[in-house]
Amino acid sequence: MNSKALRSVKAVIKNAIKISLSIALVAATHAQDLKSDWKTVDQMSAQDKALFDPNHATPRDASIPYIPAEKFPFKAPYTAEEMGYRSAQFSHISRWSHSISDVFGVVTSSGYVNQGEWACFVDFSQPGIEGYINSPVGQELGRWMLYETFPPESEGAQQLWIPIRSDKVEKKRLEFFYYSPSMRRVRRMPEPRRDQRFANNAQTLDDVMGRDPWEFKWELLGTDVLYETARFPATRSSITWNEPGKGFVERPVSSIKLMGDDFDHYTSDGGVETWVLKATTKEEWLPDYNEKYLIVWVEKHTFFILRREKYGHDGRLITIESRMSEKENPALGDLGYTSKMGTYWNIDHDLISYSFHDAHQPRVWSDEQKNMIFKAEFMPREWLFEPIPSQLRLDSPDEFFLRPHLYPDKFPNYRNTTLPPDVQSRYQQQETAKKLVFETE
Amino acid sequence: MINRSKYEVCGLNYVFVFSELHVRRGGGMIQNLVKLFFLTMLMVLSTAQASTFSNTLSKIDRSLATFNPLGKYVRKPVEKAIPRLKFRGFVRQWSDMLLEKNGTIGSVNQDYRFLQLQNLFELQTSYYVAPGIDVNAVSHIMYDGVYDWQNSDGLSADRSDRTNELYNTSERILREFYISYRKPSFDLKIGKQQVAWGKMDGQFIDIVNGMDRRESVQLESEDYEWRRLPTWMANATVYLGKTTVQMLYIIDFEHDRGAAPGSPWASPLSVASKNITVGTSRPNADTFRDHQYGLRIDRSAGALTYGFAYMYAWDKNPVERIVGTTLSGSETVLQVHNRHERLHHFGATADYATTLQNVPWVGNIPAVFRIEALYTNGVRFTDADKRTAALSGTITDGTVKRDTVRAAAAIELALPSRTTFIFQGSWYQTLNYKEGLGYGFGGGISDEWSFIPLIHAARPFAFSKDRLKLEVTAFPLINGSDTGWGGLKTKVRLRYKFSQFLNGEFRYTGYDTGGANDYYGQYNQYDNFGWELNYEF
Repeated sequence: MNSKALRSVKAVIKNAIKISLSIALVAATHAQDLKSDWKTVDQMSAQDKALFDPNHATPRDASIPYIPAEKFPFKAPYTAEEMGYRSAQFSHISRWSHSISDVFGVVTSSGYVNQGEWACFVDFSQPGIEGYINSPVGQELGRWMLYETFPPESEGAQQLWIPIRSDKVEKKRLEFFYYSPSMRRVRRMPEPRRDQRFANNAQTLDDVMGRDPWEFKWELLGTDVLYETARFPATRSSITWNEPGKGFVERPVSSIKLMGDDFDHYTSDGGVETWVLKATTKEEWLPDYNEKYLIVWVEKHTFFILRREKYGHDGRLITIESRMSEKENPALGDLGYTSKMGTYWNIDHDLISYSFHDAHQPRVWSDEQKNMIFKAEFMPREWLFEPIPSQLRLDSPDEFFLRPHLYPDKFPNYRNTTLPPDVQSRYQQQETAKKLVFETE
Repeated sequence: MINRSKYEVCGLNYVFVFSELHVRRGGGMIQNLVKLFFLTMLMVLSTAQASTFSNTLSKIDRSLATFNPLGKYVRKPVEKAIPRLKFRGFVRQWSDMLLEKNGTIGSVNQDYRFLQLQNLFELQTSYYVAPGIDVNAVSHIMYDGVYDWQNSDGLSADRSDRTNELYNTSERILREFYISYRKPSFDLKIGKQQVAWGKMDGQFIDIVNGMDRRESVQLESEDYEWRRLPTWMANATVYLGKTTVQMLYIIDFEHDRGAAPGSPWASPLSVASKNITVGTSRPNADTFRDHQYGLRIDRSAGALTYGFAYMYAWDKNPVERIVGTTLSGSETVLQVHNRHERLHHFGATADYATTLQNVPWVGNIPAVFRIEALYTNGVRFTDADKRTAALSGTITDGTVKRDTVRAAAAIELALPSRTTFIFQGSWYQTLNYKEGLGYGFGGGISDEWSFIPLIHAARPFAFSKDRLKLEVTAFPLINGSDTGWGGLKTKVRLRYKFSQFLNGEFRYTGYDTGGANDYYGQYNQYDNFGWELNYEF
């Protein structure tokens, strides 16, 4: 065989391999999307049915009439409402005193990337969702001091967030101060609107601070098993995270599990069993709220939120949030899981955000630290009193996280997963390439 | 001339209209630059219609995403080699260009087009010496090409003071240099530094440092950081629970710099004085009694934050005092001596946050209210009556003392679609005013009082994934009965984020209505557009 013919044969074989691999990948992804581990309430196992109380009209608390009379964290069998309350423990920012490096970013369909890195010092005087529920309305729940270290443009900028217990009458949820080094001024700012995307991000204020479970009507749709939530691209085989006490540790991305290494309830094939809830906004609590309802996948034992879909009043899918967890505060047992890593896909603008909580460390702040760090007056000192280094920022748009799975066949009576055609096309290309495909490709 | 109302209404379209006019009017570098700029715009727009636009944009986005040469090849290696050193900086190019040359306007020969062609490079370094002790330095260099890059007889300020064109003195280049010592409840900074008091747009209790006001009416709040004139001082702050006490002991004195005669923003109202200046007295750093002192106390209580400030300072602008008369030819003229005056400033500031509920159409609106006020005792003004009397032989220094108040109240609203709205009413009052008073710190602008009801709205555009942001600000000026309406300044800005390290801005600033002797009115023929490119590493 001459060399020309040999080259042709090689090319044919190469292309055949490529095509086969592509088909295999697409098939695998499709299979993942179609994997029918989901069950409606009627189809649930007897074991699951025993854990569920279908009652909608449970007794109310004597002093706070809009919450259940049974005390948090409740006992099985759980009503859908109680599952919602349990899941509210797991807001984006963990509800206990801690420090983290919050590394986050956004990518657009053109490949524009905007990232940030903040050293976050969080003090909760009223920890947990239980602390929130039981605090008097209007009382501050703690203080979060956020020191921006990236990008250079905002290096040294700081934010002080003071979350407040709110209700139907007292609407203010946050006292918010901002220090701009270029202005050398601390300014009290209006709190961001709850249901509005932050600029250059897919997250809303409620995505970060958490939602009040009594603002929603809860309904159990069934159960499901999840195998993947936040997804790394094929271009990123390992990441380096900062583990307090160990320093920088490199981890193959394939070894990162949905609920972390210390979770005891993985299925035999590595999945995580979930309850699937529908949370519909109560008009009297949230008038004019952008989101009409949420579909939430919560882990069956801890009620940790692994996936959340937000739908608008016109029924369109607005955002898919997918999270991976780690038990960062073992002292709290099942309540000690955090949102280690999450992606937020805003479908309207095909905007994908990620947020990685690196170097999580539960903290007990001394009185001196409380009096020093968690104050607006501290910000002009431009004192990053404890740097929290991280290596989790992306080097290029090609390393960005994938859009979450769509699962078009799961709970089709409740979920509309139709995408705009251009977004659908990019989603499909991504599923084939196993990395984001931008407009040039 | 173009009909102004037409291009204001037409928004962005007017840019093309006036550019065509000027391109036709003449040749030369400026015209070529304008041609080039709009050709590029046209190319971009026509490309936009082509299907390849998004591909081109995507390629640019992806290559810019990692474009940070100074960060990668300078900052990182330096910080790696010297772990105790923190190092950052920026390069900024910003330019403003008149819509048209207008020739003689008052005392100014406006035969130039560019109002600024400024290039600023700044380095900020901080060296960790020991726990709580750091040495900080900010150095920068600025070159303004307006004097070299265009042919003009009207621009000559670089010859009288080189710093109008280039920061070439150590005083200018070494902008800040101080040692900081920090304990949990105590801060001490000693050295050359700037201190910004206040929270409002504009200066109300921001009185500590002098300011380089070379852009005159076009100096904006966000430029104060680069325009304040740092001074040598000791700055101590004690943190006592909810109360913070800051004390300043200022050795050095820096007076305000205005737009110099022969500079692009020189006031058309300036007229060559016939008076003979026999000298200027400045406060002396070597003289203890010339030093300045400041005290500020702040306290927070839930949704309310408030504070008080006092400063025993010098007026940063000298006032002419008559020391005699003399004959100049056959005419009697005044001999004047410029002196800075001691002032007592008393300030207050407060802000309060709330959520306005059930507002029609928009529902709940998070809101913040801010107020700030400064009462100044003993401001010296020149008095036209006394100066006239001096020419007739009356012995007088030609000045009077008055107290002034300047204050502002603002409301900031977070509206839907990430829209921010600010209304700020700013008030300037000379107490016990009489006609004929000259300029004095904090008082009304050529009148008993002046009022600027500032309106500002800003929002990013979702179609650009929030990278494009529009800001519109209007500054109408209303004076007391002597001068009345003082003109309107409007600013429209389009900011764009190219990447995490690069951003840019395209802006238009207009001056409309008001008379030729009014604060804004004098700049009626200074409508300009500009751009800014900023790289931070």
